[in-house]
Amino acid sequence: MSPRVPGAGRPRRDTLTGYAFVGPSLIGVVGFLLVPVIVVIGISLFRWDLVSPARFLGLDNYRVILTDPAFGRSLLVTALFVLLVVPVEIALGLFLAVLLHRRLPGSVAFRVIFALPWISAPLALGVVWKWIFDPSDGALNALTGHRVEWLSSPALALPSVAAVSIWMHVGYVALFYLAGLAGIPEQYHEAARIDGASSRQALWRITLPLLRPTTFFVLTTNVITTVQTFDTVYAMTQGGPAGRTDVVASLIYKEAFTSFRMGRAASMSVVLFVLLVAVTLAQQQYFRQRITYEIG
Amino acid sequence: MKKNFLTYVFLTVAAVLTLAPYLLSVQTSLKTPQQFAQQSPLAPPSPLSGHSYAELVVGEHTLVPPLVITLQVVIVIVIGELVCLALAAYAFARLRFPGRDLLFWVYLATLMVPFVAIMVPRFAMLSELGLRDTFWGIVLPAMFGSPYTVFLLREFFRAIPEDLLDAARLDGAGHLRALWHVVLPLSRPILSTLLIITAVTRWNDFLWPLIITSGERWRVLTAEPVQRQLDARHGRDHSGHPAAAGALRDLPEAHRPIHHHHRNEVRPS
Repeated sequence: MSPRVPGAGRPRRDTLTGYAFVGPSLIGVVGFLLVPVIVVIGISLFRWDLVSPARFLGLDNYRVILTDPAFGRSLLVTALFVLLVVPVEIALGLFLAVLLHRRLPGSVAFRVIFALPWISAPLALGVVWKWIFDPSDGALNALTGHRVEWLSSPALALPSVAAVSIWMHVGYVALFYLAGLAGIPEQYHEAARIDGASSRQALWRITLPLLRPTTFFVLTTNVITTVQTFDTVYAMTQGGPAGRTDVVASLIYKEAFTSFRMGRAASMSVVLFVLLVAVTLAQQQYFRQRITYEIG
Repeated sequence: MKKNFLTYVFLTVAAVLTLAPYLLSVQTSLKTPQQFAQQSPLAPPSPLSGHSYAELVVGEHTLVPPLVITLQVVIVIVIGELVCLALAAYAFARLRFPGRDLLFWVYLATLMVPFVAIMVPRFAMLSELGLRDTFWGIVLPAMFGSPYTVFLLREFFRAIPEDLLDAARLDGAGHLRALWHVVLPLSRPILSTLLIITAVTRWNDFLWPLIITSGERWRVLTAEPVQRQLDARHGRDHSGHPAAAGALRDLPEAHRPIHHHHRNEVRPS
């Protein structure tokens, strides 16, 4: 590419090939990720119902949603949902991974079973669970013999949906921890045994600290996906009763595609985006200080 | 070995809890509609009936068209995604061009863009392109791949020894041939993982097809069960859907059924 220094040991450049190779993928990243981020900010400044022409409002949508109890409640419901789901699925996933890591006969079969909910459609699982939770025709009440309104009681609806979400993701978390456990050199545990550490001590002092990178990955990705939960809620409660399970994805969907308030939905999207970036960066900051690859 | 015994106990309990909803669904699918309506949901099917499955194939609301559409969507997206992904990952891992690191930084930054936050503008953009309720409307946003998979594959490509590629180049192979004959065959494990992940994700996708399509023409498989449940409920009672009460409480009463029947069917001028 640079005729002035022919073959003078400079690294070869592949400018044309480089752009040609990145090109197709870049269309997707720019067209369907970057541009939408700019467009969503644009839409959030307008009043737009898809039918009549959009009207410029400035920051009015933000003023409206930030004082709208439905949006505030939705953020709260989402936060509560994440707090109910993520710690439990990480703890249970880690527990299952430790059990599977013992590699007793039959472990592979268990691994396949635990991966099932992860490869099934969340929407379909939500539909099945909704029927299991049904107060009169549901399997759960038939099993216990009590009539419990799992999904229409304000107190039980969110924990019920959260339980289903945990059920869906535990196996997935376990598979990641299993990979993390496989990456810990056996010598560390041997050394601990020789020094007289019990297996519980080895777990807390060696295994868990060395799993921090896995935990970081699982935590950040699970927070992001759990904040965006839609399918499960849509199938099970559609946000009810009285908004008790109206997570922010569900609210944005309804604002945009059943109430046709695109501007308001867009401004909610922007607020959600900013909050999610903040949470992700905070987690990154927290773990960057704590991830150690050596036993200290 | 008390410890092994306990391990099995815990694993078995977890496996039973995991499998129960599947077994229950299979068992119920083999019941006659009469038994389903009359007996406990836990009762074993008697007589065994293939009625439900026959309905799915030849019934009035057959699942065959949505199945065909979903297969087409998955195949087109997965092929597009894997091609774009392999090329981009190779470029980021193995080629030198100005702006490469800046571009890669952009890719990393877009990892943080949540789908829920950009579904409204994506819908607006694809509507502008006239792609609402079309096959390409469903497929286009996903078929160029995601930065996440590019990132994963790039890490893998970087670990391939430079010598192998140098040897290929000495033999006169261009980058495309080096990618096809050297890099990809060495990357089979990660490629099959990525293939499974993308295919499963697209097969299970619900929200985007729900937004961009309306009515039955392009209805995908995941939209079927919920549509049926809504249809069935709508005939009986509305009380199961206080859902709309929160966000839609300030709408006129007349608007509520939109959610069940005419989803997305408002057309712009």
